[in-house]
Amino acid sequence: MSREPTHPSAHDVCVIGGGVTGAGIARDLALRGLSVLLLEKGDWGAGTTGASSWMIHGGPRYLEFDWDTTRLSCQDAGHIVTIARNMVYRVVFVIPVLPHDRNNIERMETAMEVYDRFQPLKKAHPHRRLTPAEALQVEPGLTPDLIAAVTMEEWGVDPHRLVFANVQDAVAHGARALNHTRVTDLVRDGGKVIGVRYQGPDGTTSEARARVVVNAAGPWSPEVGAMAEVPVKLRPAKGIHLVYPHRISNFSISGESVDGRDLLMVSHAGFTLLGTTDDDFYGDLDSVDVIEDEVEYLLQGIERVFPSIRSYRPVRTTTGVRPTLFKWRKYEDELSRRYVVIDHASEGVDGFVTIAGGKLSMYRLMAEETSDAVCRKLGHQAPCTTATRPLPGNESDVDPPEELAERYRISALAAIKLQSRHGSNAAKVLSEFDSERLLCRCEPITEAELVYSVRHEQVRGLADAFRRVGVAAGPCAGASCVMRASAVIGRELGWSASQRFDAARDFIRGSWLGRAPILGHSGWAQEELARGALRGLNL
Amino acid sequence: MGRTDSLAKLAWAYGRHLARRRLTRPRSQLKDLLDTYAADGMIALEPAERLRHPQLIGCINCGLCALAAGRIGRTRLPDVASSYMRLYARLGGASSDLSGGEPDLEAAAAACPVGVPLAEVAAIVRRLSAG
Repeated sequence: MSREPTHPSAHDVCVIGGGVTGAGIARDLALRGLSVLLLEKGDWGAGTTGASSWMIHGGPRYLEFDWDTTRLSCQDAGHIVTIARNMVYRVVFVIPVLPHDRNNIERMETAMEVYDRFQPLKKAHPHRRLTPAEALQVEPGLTPDLIAAVTMEEWGVDPHRLVFANVQDAVAHGARALNHTRVTDLVRDGGKVIGVRYQGPDGTTSEARARVVVNAAGPWSPEVGAMAEVPVKLRPAKGIHLVYPHRISNFSISGESVDGRDLLMVSHAGFTLLGTTDDDFYGDLDSVDVIEDEVEYLLQGIERVFPSIRSYRPVRTTTGVRPTLFKWRKYEDELSRRYVVIDHASEGVDGFVTIAGGKLSMYRLMAEETSDAVCRKLGHQAPCTTATRPLPGNESDVDPPEELAERYRISALAAIKLQSRHGSNAAKVLSEFDSERLLCRCEPITEAELVYSVRHEQVRGLADAFRRVGVAAGPCAGASCVMRASAVIGRELGWSASQRFDAARDFIRGSWLGRAPILGHSGWAQEELARGALRGLNL
Repeated sequence: MGRTDSLAKLAWAYGRHLARRRLTRPRSQLKDLLDTYAADGMIALEPAERLRHPQLIGCINCGLCALAAGRIGRTRLPDVASSYMRLYARLGGASSDLSGGEPDLEAAAAACPVGVPLAEVAAIVRRLSAG
């Protein structure tokens, strides 16, 4: 359904793509005083960003290829950790070395000693070396076959919240940010790109004029480039993760896959990500499925260092496509994670800039360099401030969680989790709606937070609520909260009873698709139980 | 060029590392490790807890145990098993949620459809939240 275009809006810059890079660019440019329109066809961070390993890491792997990438990555990670301190937490890896591993313990420790030189850049501690007995004391689930182990520290982050905090700050500084809004075409004047046409969630087609259009669409950037008739050459690589709804271990664990790649079992705030794969991808970017072979590849690799992994029940999978820069002949795993800012004026298309490649840990730097390029084109002189300016919720210290809990009659754990998403704005969130009801008990999430997310954080459905506040992200995978959450969102958005029902059913069906490839024996049993609990949805 | 340069620097670092290992006596770094991350709430499971761990985290928050036995402190029983048992590193900040009354955990476990041993779960959660 397409309606007549409305009168075009006018902006200095239009950014296409609401992943962490696009959101970072929008924030950077808005802080420099430019008027910005940010457009995302799905939800904020729903593509590559959300399917990452949820880590701000320095990339010790790149020490074999390019120390400069490690240095830049650590440096920018240090900035992100400072401006987003409510969202980050330490992730400490125990890396066991087994007989016949690609690297023996001395080589592994050498790599860590070199990496230690970069660790202070991101406010992390140096490595430690452990004997087999010590490693087993730290993590009794490790294989007793290990020869020794080293530790390595990185930072974990909720990438969905990181993206949204950038969007929020961009909007606070005058930007307009629209999710569920797809760019359908670029507006051109001869060789120059002068704006975009886009379709909103209600089918309305609109036009916006911009002096510069930035293509920050990640793996979709070749598609956006094609609208301007310029090639953007990537070598997209698919990566999957298995998600376990608990921390399996307090320390994260690294292992080696059958083909010698590093696999990570990453302990995040209450859940574990096991990944990742890295395979050339040629399919439909909007329909990337997990296949059982990929699941088996990950389990086989981690089972070697953590033998009981198959006893744990994953609750879902994530899958995404990395926008890796094109290179012929190299193995996927050896491809650089570097990025490039392309001003297409050199190809005869003025007013159009693409940012391609890169990784989550360097998003801020990528945004800064892209914004610099945009400002040069516009003749706008204003310095970048994103390295030091705190993201929303980080302007001041948070209240002690027990005080917040007491004041708003919620549990201290709910207060801790709330602060990890909203930082010093947690009290403001709880004041939005007078209810101490816990809506999602596994996470736990209050009704007030969900109401706030609908009113102020562009949540338009259950999948958006999953990303923004973590609805249905826990062990029950929505079995006990999805109907309640649908009722609250529906009440705020004016849904009818049948719309609320349909939203819950569609969400459960969608999450089932991501769970099917990982269901083992106990998984199927629990699936049956959950389906029994949700039998009213006619799944 | 970048790769050659990187490998050469790593080779140099490797030589220095081997020399240092020969010339200095290694000392245990376990205490340093645990001290460094104690503030972040990273506490290892005991070997016995590790063995039983997959059985301890089966809760799907159906709520039957709450009908059988109520709450630990201010916290509903299924939340102890489904939420607090997720080994949050910052569980120490939520210890007040668990202080108080001791319900009949055996009766609660008997009501559990997936067989979560609630007494064991409660003991672990309390140990971890005590820091």
